[in-house]
Amino acid sequence: MSGSFSIPIQVVEAGGVTAWLVEDHSVPVVSLAWSWPGGAALDSDEQAGAAALTAALLSEGAGPLDAPAFADALRDGGISLGFAGARDQFEGGFRCLAEALPETVRLARLAMAEPRFDAEAVTRIRARAIAQARQTLETPRGQAGRAFWAAAYPTHPAGRPSSGTAETLAAIPVAALRDVVARQIRHEGLLVAAAGAIGPGALAGVLDQLFGGLPPGAPPAAPPLPVFNQFGRSVLGMDSPQSQVIFGQPGIPVQDPDWEAAQVVLRILAGGGFSSRLMQAVRVERGLTYGIGAGLDVLFNQAIVVGAFASDNAKVAEALEATRAEWSRMAESGPTVPELDEAVAYLTGSLPLQFTDSRRIANTLLALRRNGRPRDWLDGRAARLRALTRDGTAAVAGRLLLPDAFSVAIAGRPVGL
Amino acid sequence: MPALTRRAALGAAAALAAAPATLSAEERQREADPPLFGARLWRLPNGLTVALAESRRAPVVAQYLFYGAGGGEDPLGRSGVAHFLEHMMFKGSPNVPSGAFSRRIAREGGNDNAFTSRDVTAYYQQVEASRLPLIMSLEADRFAEALFPADEFESERAVVIEERRQRTDSNPRARFHEAFEAAMWGPQHWHGRPVIGWLDEIRAITRDDLVAFYRRWYAPANATLVIGGDVREAELRDLVERHYGGVPVRSAGTRDRAPPPAAPAEPRLIRRESGVREALFLRSWYAPNLTWGAAEHAYPLEVLVHLLGSGQRSRLHKALVETGLAVSVGAGYDSDALGAGDFSLSAVPRPNVAPQRLEDAAGAVIAQLLEGGPTEEEVARSRRQITAGALLALDSFGSAPRMIGGALAIGLPLETVEYWPARIRAVTRDQVAAAARAVLGARTDTTGWLLPGEA
Repeated sequence: MSGSFSIPIQVVEAGGVTAWLVEDHSVPVVSLAWSWPGGAALDSDEQAGAAALTAALLSEGAGPLDAPAFADALRDGGISLGFAGARDQFEGGFRCLAEALPETVRLARLAMAEPRFDAEAVTRIRARAIAQARQTLETPRGQAGRAFWAAAYPTHPAGRPSSGTAETLAAIPVAALRDVVARQIRHEGLLVAAAGAIGPGALAGVLDQLFGGLPPGAPPAAPPLPVFNQFGRSVLGMDSPQSQVIFGQPGIPVQDPDWEAAQVVLRILAGGGFSSRLMQAVRVERGLTYGIGAGLDVLFNQAIVVGAFASDNAKVAEALEATRAEWSRMAESGPTVPELDEAVAYLTGSLPLQFTDSRRIANTLLALRRNGRPRDWLDGRAARLRALTRDGTAAVAGRLLLPDAFSVAIAGRPVGL
Repeated sequence: MPALTRRAALGAAAALAAAPATLSAEERQREADPPLFGARLWRLPNGLTVALAESRRAPVVAQYLFYGAGGGEDPLGRSGVAHFLEHMMFKGSPNVPSGAFSRRIAREGGNDNAFTSRDVTAYYQQVEASRLPLIMSLEADRFAEALFPADEFESERAVVIEERRQRTDSNPRARFHEAFEAAMWGPQHWHGRPVIGWLDEIRAITRDDLVAFYRRWYAPANATLVIGGDVREAELRDLVERHYGGVPVRSAGTRDRAPPPAAPAEPRLIRRESGVREALFLRSWYAPNLTWGAAEHAYPLEVLVHLLGSGQRSRLHKALVETGLAVSVGAGYDSDALGAGDFSLSAVPRPNVAPQRLEDAAGAVIAQLLEGGPTEEEVARSRRQITAGALLALDSFGSAPRMIGGALAIGLPLETVEYWPARIRAVTRDQVAAAARAVLGARTDTTGWLLPGEA
């Protein structure tokens, strides 16, 4: 079966905007996802979080509708519509019942073209964002995450929290929010994906309505991502019975010819479920953590390798030692033949499971586009994975995994670190 | 394996109301609305309940096996047994060695996991459709007999303790919510204990505790198997009979959920923590639901919780957020839980707002509601907004099995899932007013504050 499963992706074009579409009328639901490059990376240091704050406010009143009226329109139709100012892109998306599509498109267009930024909404959403930024720092997870990125990219926006800090959020004037809209919501640089109960003709009409009137030109370029700063170890002391560890190292560009082999290596070493070497070594055999995993995290078309676990303060050093040992072992000798076979069987066989939910399908298509994949990428994936050899994969493991570059941020009261 | 709460497990279906109003109302709904999932239901001779929610959207199937036992059935002084048992169910059965369960499913491209709530323990897998017999044979094997190897018991206990530290002990808000439940219900009441267990009780659990729980509750007559996805009923009937028909009949325990205490153990919980940066206010009342107490209030309470705390037209939003007292507000209620439930309000105050001011304003909202009742317009809006997206549940592969299994496993009929939107739409203003008086008018509520500062 796996291997014969194929995803028919249509390409729909209207007014200079193209969308990928997986059409499926078995359920009366439509999902759309779109993005532009930029996002939080275009914020200044002093106004970090401006893109995220703007995104949150787009659906808080637009055109003739104030915030409560806009919210009612969404809720009355069972519509979910949202925007996000992510690290390296500005995103929009919705999911709705097919019968609510016209109203959804009307509201989504209004949100992008005529956001109001009424004082009441700005005050309220800013207060909420500040409270969330502060709450993030209450847990080791939030502190370690912030410390990791700050150490890995000390001179680039990627090192800042994309949703800002309590201090920067307080300093963003409304004019800056309007600037975000002007720089970001453009006719060019836009990628769109759709899934669900909509045909190509209807989708073309939606594209035209949503994006046809956007100002020409593309968002400005973000500063290029510097090389991952190998920072060794960074410990942030805070009272907690457990230490949170975020670990990582430089990765590979998304266009690297060994991309899929790298995915296989990381599946075996640190992937989902219970079969990975790290889950076996750190959880199953030693009982040192509830869960550990790592994977490729893509930003600015570069993947970096990032993982996480949490352990009792007294045991975190042992858990970290076991993690490093597995990292080195995989770098030196690669996977075994049975491990490779199992990982390829999983990655080829699980494809149908990713196509059961229109929102997930739209997001999957959008990620493929963002990574510059051709439309038949998924169709050829099973064959490419099956062609991997043990020795070839071991060579990729040796190139991908860099024990000397392995860097860790720890928050808690780790003993012996 | 994650211990999800029911609330999290149901996710998008949070508004899932389900209340057996009256038969005639139900008949009216049947005419007005098709069933949400059109599920089929039958029972094996050994007592196992089986439901099929067929969907041909993609060539995939999901298997969910629900046991009618969760943290609420943990023995006295041994909170965490149901959840610890869930972890140990992956440690082998007669034909499946320890750890092989998930590995074999992954090799077939599938995903698997499990969750424990207060009301249920559930195990599930999602695979390409032709692999259904495989996951059935694996699940049925550990249903018939599980091994619980003694030499893996202590390392798994350590994993559970790390899970507790990660979910609860490392997070001041999670610790506060746990303490609040204990204050309201009592730390040894089934509703006041955490599903994952108190730390000293997790440490005290023995292998015998797990075996006893398994023998008492993991019986076909106390289990519900829900299959969702691309399989026909005739084929499924054969498969289920072949794989599960041989699970031996065992007598199952009867769930005994004690009523709420006459008064909260600690009606006012004030906790200060130096690591906390944003304060939190909670207030909660004991409440009936579809399985306990005055069940006729269950659907009206779903409407009430929406008009009080959901969205910018809600009463709490207008009184607390629009006035600048609070950053955010919320209200919570579950109509589909087993045994006595709760109805709660929450608010995060703005940094410079004195706690008492916010508490008084919240109290005034309740007093006003009790005095004048809701308006027709509010009730109509809430009915409309709760039900508007009901069909979106069809867009999520796991929704149907989770909603159906969750209801059947606590003794609710399938109709409570299939026709919940019509039941919400039938709620009247007078019913909401009566439910508000019955629940919010009681003087046995609990108030809690989590505050920044020194403990």
